[in-house]
Amino acid sequence: MKNVVVDIDNVSFHYGSVLVLQDVSLQIVEDEFIGIIGPNASGKSTLLKLILGLLQPDKGTIRCLQSPVGQHASKIGYVPQHITFSRDFPITVIEAILMGHVSRNAYCFSYSKAEMEAAYSAMQTLGIEELAQRQVGALSGGQLQRVLLARALVSKPEILLLDEPTANVDIKAEEDIFALLKNYSEHMTIIVVSHDIAFISGYVDRVACLNRTLVCHNTESISGKMIEELYEAPVRMIHHHH
Amino acid sequence: MDFLHALTHFTFMQHAVLACVLASIGCGVIGTYVVVKRISFLTGGIAHSVLAGMGIAYFFNASPLIGAVVTAIIAALLIGWMNQRFQENADVLIAAFWSCGMAIGILFLSKTPGYNVDLMSYLFGNILLITRQDLLLMLILDIVVVTVCYVFYKQLLTSVFDEEFARLRGINTQFTYMLLLCLISMTIVLLIQLVGVIMVIALLTLPAAIANQYVYSLHKMFILAALLCLIISISGLAISYKPDLPSGSVIVLLTCLTYFASMIARRRHLQ
Repeated sequence: MKNVVVDIDNVSFHYGSVLVLQDVSLQIVEDEFIGIIGPNASGKSTLLKLILGLLQPDKGTIRCLQSPVGQHASKIGYVPQHITFSRDFPITVIEAILMGHVSRNAYCFSYSKAEMEAAYSAMQTLGIEELAQRQVGALSGGQLQRVLLARALVSKPEILLLDEPTANVDIKAEEDIFALLKNYSEHMTIIVVSHDIAFISGYVDRVACLNRTLVCHNTESISGKMIEELYEAPVRMIHHHH
Repeated sequence: MDFLHALTHFTFMQHAVLACVLASIGCGVIGTYVVVKRISFLTGGIAHSVLAGMGIAYFFNASPLIGAVVTAIIAALLIGWMNQRFQENADVLIAAFWSCGMAIGILFLSKTPGYNVDLMSYLFGNILLITRQDLLLMLILDIVVVTVCYVFYKQLLTSVFDEEFARLRGINTQFTYMLLLCLISMTIVLLIQLVGVIMVIALLTLPAAIANQYVYSLHKMFILAALLCLIISISGLAISYKPDLPSGSVIVLLTCLTYFASMIARRRHLQ
């Protein structure tokens, strides 16, 4: 029996008067690769932010790595869907990735040799080492996504959360990123939010369908009917051959 | 030539040049943060509310600069706190601080005998009247600003670039925001000596904005912005000396011209 690393127990959350999540319970075990899917505004990103401790639930509890959320900042990596910075922000790729090491006790200017090595090895894995001195604002969507992923990976997290990691990239890059995540999932718990069930079901172990409430499925059991129920509209299933 | 003569013969000119050097250090480092965090309007609000402290200090015969430091920090903390508390009205809030500070300052100055000359020098700067004590205070402010920026470099950079990520990494982003506002307020006091409260915003934004067009790292931007500020302020001082023009205005005008020229040159280059 594997350890439960994220334990969401009966959680509800409102934005103002709008109920976004209702009685959501979900247990995620060590080294699981789970996809959270659902239509727009179904509460997917909200659920991630609750797990990260950026938002507090109105009802219910969330525990990460056997403690209340927010106590294991360094063991949880996060790749946001987009970050809001101006295109001319003066920061290079390597500086942005090194930020993954920053903590509340990070002082002064320089990084240690081990921290630099971790950053370069993450860049190598993601094939972006030649971008090290480029300005982050000048990157393409796919390159930026890899930089954000590298930033999340340098601190060697036990849990990795990704919010629509492939929303702004082409199909080829999408496949590359998921193949890479599949590799990492052997020794890391990965939670990925997506609206593209057909694509992610080829990679993840389990799918959680979220539309205010949450239902879990093993990837084998996903059917057209189930997707229709989730999206409340007919959905075309596309079979593709690789 | 006259400027060089004055520089070698008169202490007031040596003080003025030294003041340019000290002001440029704070200007480069903090101006960079103001530009990348896009808070020039907020910075303007703090700068103008500083006049209240100067007016009150002057009325009670205390050092206006000490008054400026105290009010600048109070204004920064208040604006920062209210800004986080009542986020939707940030714009109006800054406008309120902006005008309220000036009104209080002018009321106190008007009740102090002989206010006219001093009012002008607080509003528009008077670099030629800088004393040894002023320089000492500027040096202390520089040391504080540079030391704090060095120690908190990573936390400030992370908070400014991606606040959500900074919070995830356990950084207290409310603290770093307040810290930044306090550093800005100290730098405002540094720069008031040169160009006065009205035009301080020019030196806190334009040199850094010019630097931003050429370098891609925060620490490189610090250095380039400080150098630009130094060259421009000393040039402004030199140009204004012979025809006896107000040096603050010449410095600000020169800063604006450099900014526009750089912007146009950059556009040409990119096309």
